[in-house]
Amino acid sequence: MSDTTREWLLRKARGKARPVLKRRSRITRQNNLMGYLFLSPWLIGFFIFTLLPIVASLVLAFTEYDIFSPPTWVALDNFRKMLFQDNRYWRSVRATFYYVFTAVPLRLLVALGVAMLLNRGRRLVGVYRAAYYAPSIVGGSVAIAVMWRQIFGVDGLVNYALGALRIPGVNWLGDPRTAIWTLITLAAWQFGSPMLIFLAGLKQIPVELYESASIDGAGGWAKFVGITLPMLTPVILFNLVMQIIAGFMAFTQAYLVTAGRPLDTTNFYALYLYLRAFETHEMGYSSAMAWVLLLVIAFFTALVFRSSSYWVYYESGRVEE
Amino acid sequence: MNSKRLSRRDFLRISALTAAGAALAGCTTPTPQVIRETVEVPVKETVEVPVEVVVEVTPTIEEKEPVELRIAWWGNQTRHTRTIQVIKMFEETYPWIAVTYEFATWDDHWTRLATQAAGGNLPDVMQHDYARLSEWVGNNLLIPLDEYVDSGAIDLSNVPDETLGGGRVDGKLYGMNLGVNALCMVLDTDAFAKAGIELPAQDWTWADFEAIAVQIKDKLDIWGYGGNSLAHDQIWRSVVLSNGEWIYTPDGKALGYTDDQVLVDHMNMILRLQEAGVIEPRDEEVARASLGQQGDPLVAGKAAMGFMWSNQLASTWTAAGAERHFKLVQIPRLAGGLSAIYVKPSMFFSITAQAKHPDEGAMFINFFTNSVAANHVLLAERGVPVSTVVGESMQAVLTPDQIEMFNYMAMVPSDCQPVPPPDPVGEANVRNNVYYPEFVDPVLYGLTTPEEGVVVLRELADEILAAS
Repeated sequence: MSDTTREWLLRKARGKARPVLKRRSRITRQNNLMGYLFLSPWLIGFFIFTLLPIVASLVLAFTEYDIFSPPTWVALDNFRKMLFQDNRYWRSVRATFYYVFTAVPLRLLVALGVAMLLNRGRRLVGVYRAAYYAPSIVGGSVAIAVMWRQIFGVDGLVNYALGALRIPGVNWLGDPRTAIWTLITLAAWQFGSPMLIFLAGLKQIPVELYESASIDGAGGWAKFVGITLPMLTPVILFNLVMQIIAGFMAFTQAYLVTAGRPLDTTNFYALYLYLRAFETHEMGYSSAMAWVLLLVIAFFTALVFRSSSYWVYYESGRVEE
Repeated sequence: MNSKRLSRRDFLRISALTAAGAALAGCTTPTPQVIRETVEVPVKETVEVPVEVVVEVTPTIEEKEPVELRIAWWGNQTRHTRTIQVIKMFEETYPWIAVTYEFATWDDHWTRLATQAAGGNLPDVMQHDYARLSEWVGNNLLIPLDEYVDSGAIDLSNVPDETLGGGRVDGKLYGMNLGVNALCMVLDTDAFAKAGIELPAQDWTWADFEAIAVQIKDKLDIWGYGGNSLAHDQIWRSVVLSNGEWIYTPDGKALGYTDDQVLVDHMNMILRLQEAGVIEPRDEEVARASLGQQGDPLVAGKAAMGFMWSNQLASTWTAAGAERHFKLVQIPRLAGGLSAIYVKPSMFFSITAQAKHPDEGAMFINFFTNSVAANHVLLAERGVPVSTVVGESMQAVLTPDQIEMFNYMAMVPSDCQPVPPPDPVGEANVRNNVYYPEFVDPVLYGLTTPEEGVVVLRELADEILAAS
């Protein structure tokens, strides 16, 4: 039985449950009021700049709105067009799923690998940590995207390096098979934030576990699979959820590096949404796309959370279903 | 407790910092690159202005309230630099007007202005385009300029009336023509000379084009053609135009041409040239896209021909370097077909309905159109100026790119077609969601044949146009 339950039962037994609450209520109310007062700037901003636009977007999803003239109600027409009449939509969905299911695991793997290396605690670890985190911060920027375009261009750095090894160059950005991999590589390069979280998680693992495993004769791999991974599962859960959400919303890199080409292989969902909104002024259609994306992300997040009770191990005990 | 283990406080600190960092990193809002600044731009070109310069008469001494005028245009760096200089000249002439300007690339300009229109804060004067003018007029976002013309605030006494037609919607003038231009094929005459190929005549055909391109590849081992795709939608229009039709019906509800074969033949020609390595393959073209003019093959000397709007020759020649030589010829026509081009008002200045100072906006438009000194700075970068006085005065100061452009534009009206009607609503949809992704790219990447492609193009385009 948890502590609060026991407390409450004791209080009730002593007959003090209700009077205690009554005496506290005025102070509690005042405390709550102060809390809301302090919250109010953020709350107001939230309502005006986040909640209201979200509701507006939901309403707009059922309209046709070209930003110049008032919206006209079309009910489910946007959804019908999107799901049944739009070839580019399904190509975009395919590109996004491909990206999420390759870039996210890749990024997490690289992040975990580097975090384990940094956990050894050599000298200058702080410098390495900062250096490896830097790409995450600048990665969403235009400068990196332009640089990436140059690196993977037909006359770019990668082909130059391949040429030095006498390997013929590849048109990374123009070939439909490789274009998305330039973006996946960019995503993997920005492993900084999951890496720091993994690092924090690694430092939480009690060293005694490793010591006793060594005494029992466990090798490196056994220690990794038997100790590190299970102890890291809460952190893995966090990173997985965050990265999946970010993956589905990937926009900047696709917009700047490939602009969705070639053949829509890099036309990520968020990018296609933006293009439909601003190239052809179909705000209602884009709002409909946005809400479908919300549902998809919610579905996958729920899936991960649901499955988490089977594979996430909390030190305080398994989460009871 | 092991000393290496991270304390709870440190863990929380690191997590908080990481979350903050992740939030900041994730916060990149996808805004288009907009440059908005008042910058002191050094004068890059010193122009010898002839002594007899028409000086604008400053209004008589009155205490004028300071006015802030907002102007927005699109273009490239050459245009931005020159326009800013002209704005400074305008501010000197009318000292009580302070100009705030915004400039961007073509896409970002329209994105931003659409957003501003919705938000009710459009600038006073905006650069406009023939294709979009009727849409904006239809949404009551522009005001007619006729009252300013009648009152003389915009002095059009030296502007021939036929240049104004493109800016008229429903008989009212909504856009002041900033210059005339036409599509053209730019030839690198040095490359032609080196290959020993004669320059083509103005009425050359696509067959001539193909032959010349192959010859250039054989003799010089560079691309015969490079730059904007040969399957660009402007070329699509020119091919249909040369066949005597227009791509849209007059009511804009369907594709307006009946003969698909010309398009099939054109795509087959592109495929042949691509196969033979005579032109840049589509996948490389896509990879090179939006690297700016430095990446342009004509500028870099990697191709001997390229197509563009005639006024874009100025920036191309500037990027290529003054030692190069270019000539403009018409876009090739079909064998036995009509001319593939028309004289187009390159762009307009319009006054928006949300303008705070429309009168001062009219003064700016007047200055831009009639000031000889201003046009000596602009150097016809937006096209041949419409004012005859300005045009004549420029003869003394033309640089080679302007001479070529002026000569071309002087020749075109004698051999061209009338300007087609503006694009219908839904044109952007057809172009972005059908023409390139469902027709040009599948055909040029070899995923479908031109014959199948044109069927898909027609079907999807008609669907979109009928619904709009």
